[in-house]
Amino acid sequence: MAVQKASRNRHRFRTMLSVDLRRMFTMPMFYIMAGIALAVPILILVMTTGVSGGEDASMSFTSAWQIIGSLSTDSSAMMDMTSMCNINLLYFMVAVLVCCFVAGDFQSGYAKNLFTVRSKRSEYAISKVVVCFIASALFVMVFFAGAMLGAAIAGLPFTMVGFNPANLVMCVLAKILLMGVFVSIYVIASVAARHRLWLSIMISLMAGMLMFMMIPMMTPLDATVLHGILCLAGSVLFSIGLSCASTMILRKASVV
Amino acid sequence: MNAIEIRNLSKTFGSKQAVSGLNMTVPSGAIYGFIGENGSGKSTTEKALCGLLPFNSGSIKIYGKDYLDEDVRSSVGVLIESPGCFQNYSVWNNMKLQAANLGIANADAEIRKVLKLVRMEGAASNKFKNCSLGMKQRIGIAMALLGSPKLLVLDEPINGLDADGMRIMREVLTNLAENHGVTVLISSHILGELGKIATHYGIIRRGRMIKEMTAAELEDSCRTYVGLKTREMERAKALLACKYTRVEEENDEIRVYDAANPEEIVCCLYENGILVREIQTRKIGLEEYYMDLMKETEGK
Repeated sequence: MAVQKASRNRHRFRTMLSVDLRRMFTMPMFYIMAGIALAVPILILVMTTGVSGGEDASMSFTSAWQIIGSLSTDSSAMMDMTSMCNINLLYFMVAVLVCCFVAGDFQSGYAKNLFTVRSKRSEYAISKVVVCFIASALFVMVFFAGAMLGAAIAGLPFTMVGFNPANLVMCVLAKILLMGVFVSIYVIASVAARHRLWLSIMISLMAGMLMFMMIPMMTPLDATVLHGILCLAGSVLFSIGLSCASTMILRKASVV
Repeated sequence: MNAIEIRNLSKTFGSKQAVSGLNMTVPSGAIYGFIGENGSGKSTTEKALCGLLPFNSGSIKIYGKDYLDEDVRSSVGVLIESPGCFQNYSVWNNMKLQAANLGIANADAEIRKVLKLVRMEGAASNKFKNCSLGMKQRIGIAMALLGSPKLLVLDEPINGLDADGMRIMREVLTNLAENHGVTVLISSHILGELGKIATHYGIIRRGRMIKEMTAAELEDSCRTYVGLKTREMERAKALLACKYTRVEEENDEIRVYDAANPEEIVCCLYENGILVREIQTRKIGLEEYYMDLMKETEGK
């Protein structure tokens, strides 16, 4: 009986996940964001390099990798333009996507249909976190591809100084894993705001801004396995903790 | 077994008591007309019943089980406020999403079946946002019917429907209840339509159930009245009011309730020099019964 119930629960969760994945990848917003994630690094690299001509170091990129991250030893990396206009912008972009995705459920009344036939709120929260995490991981990869393309167009050097390819892989991986932390925050903000999209975006962007400074620290260009593990642990902890909190909110509040 | 049993349900929104100690019993296989004024607590009760709104106290059982039981939930079809569809998706894709949520194995056949039932099979490829209000309501009902639910909860499902849509709705709901044993809880302000299909009624006021009865009980308690028209309405009304306990003027006619026979009234008026132009014995319908009940309970 218990085994049957567990297998039924698993099946139910899988169907919810598949519905959410289908929704995410048929959402025009996802493709618009992906397009932006591809275009932004190209524009930033081409335009800043072309305009400043490399005269002002704080205003232009001198290496292709600067748009991906900065070295942990680089103390000025927090302040200059190259560290502000880089891949970390994605953490804000994802906020908008997550908020639109979750608020869409409540605005359309889909959440109402869902919770009528399924009483488990936890499945909803976990499914949203997982799907939004997958989408944000794809954005990181798209941005990376755009950055490489942009650097090639702008004629920036691809030389690695102070880090090696393994560090770079770990840096991108850590950025993807760190998305889990941000996505869970955005999901709980969206669940709390429900159909009020503007409120969820506002809360998410504020939370994102508060945590923005931790991104270069957790995901430097010379990232090691330790950085990856830390991001993974943070991601898992935040996902579980905030999914539980989202579940509580959904249980206590009206979904219509 | 009763399909729905609600006991002492209470729900407050801040300081406003939306539902207060509500009791409700819906027998299995019934079409239960849930009637009440705007803001009387109908939708709050239905939302609580559907697990969409947590309540302060009380209990809800559906087919003898707790209302949040997973098996119970998957056997409930709901249309509350709006159909809950994504505007940019086609009708078919919206239905597919709900079918997936319900875990329906043969989704395509099931969707075709329910769309045919509400005569919307031709609109499957339409974008939901391009459908008319009536079409949307029908799609909402089709969606509620997915997965062959044992209980249907419909909040104002006939709003926005044309005459044909209402007829289809009547046929569908009656067929489901009579031939498939589906219990239907339906709230509506269109009492005339509700009166044609409901087998049971529940009348709610200010968050309290003030009356629950079967259609047969309603029929028994619906009083007869004699409706008449004369040229001297005011004088006739005053005369009749001296003889009968309840005389009212409504819709350009004088209504004498609980009158033994119309001949007596005609004689009484004739003796006083008033000629009756038109006279008829009628029975009050659901709408009038409801209005009477509202008047009786006013201020209680």
